[in-house]
Amino acid sequence: MVRFKNRYVLCEVVSEDPRCRQCIEDRALGLAVRDAIARVHGDYGLACCSISFTVKYLNAYTGTVLLRCRKDSYRLLCSALPFVRYLESRAQRYPCLLNTLHVGGTIRTCQKFLIQYNRTQLLRLLQNCTNEEERQCIQKSLLSCSLTEEQSQSGDEEEDDGTE
Amino acid sequence: RRELPDGGARPNAAQFKQLVVTALRELHGEVGAALPVDVLTYEEKTVSAILRVISSGLVKLWSALTLLGFYQNRRCAFRVLQTSPFLLALSGNSRELVL
Repeated sequence: MVRFKNRYVLCEVVSEDPRCRQCIEDRALGLAVRDAIARVHGDYGLACCSISFTVKYLNAYTGTVLLRCRKDSYRLLCSALPFVRYLESRAQRYPCLLNTLHVGGTIRTCQKFLIQYNRTQLLRLLQNCTNEEERQCIQKSLLSCSLTEEQSQSGDEEEDDGTE
Repeated sequence: RRELPDGGARPNAAQFKQLVVTALRELHGEVGAALPVDVLTYEEKTVSAILRVISSGLVKLWSALTLLGFYQNRRCAFRVLQTSPFLLALSGNSRELVL
């Protein structure tokens, strides 16, 4: 009955600089978020949120980040995320934004949301893409991810997270 | 009502407010520094003041003042003499009442 409840915050790293994608690391991101919390909520907020704070999942290609924190302090964390303005790694600063996509109680709910979100993003990319080859590529990946859903449920998750 | 024992230079009213806001910023960050705190009265002779804060911010203010240790590189401490939701109650201290 008594257990530590966590909240998992799913974010997306948005950046204009294309080199930023390559240097997204879990340690750099963790430090940037903790620094933002320290600035916004002070020593008390930093200590509160750092009890069980880790970067659980990071996808550098799509810029998807999954952060974990305690249920009591997730509001402090979520309010400090807009104050992350740049990522710093290897003595280089890249301006970036963190969009919060979803806050869930377990990793599984966040994964379900991420699959749905990736599907809608693929559709939107299909509408927006100008090049014919890109269109073919995206159509193929869309068809592949929707076909595997009908055939087998288990292979669905890996297909969706890989295609972007 | 707050009292601040100090060794040397006494702050004036603006410096006192700056001290309070700095304490809040250190402990509670920008959110704490943005907490609306008013210095209602300030006596430079005894370095004591009456502060006003919204009731939901009392815990933050009190904890920030307790944990402030230094003023101009000199050790200091805030002593809270009395807290009350009514200003009139601060004029008399019932603890020092002599019957």
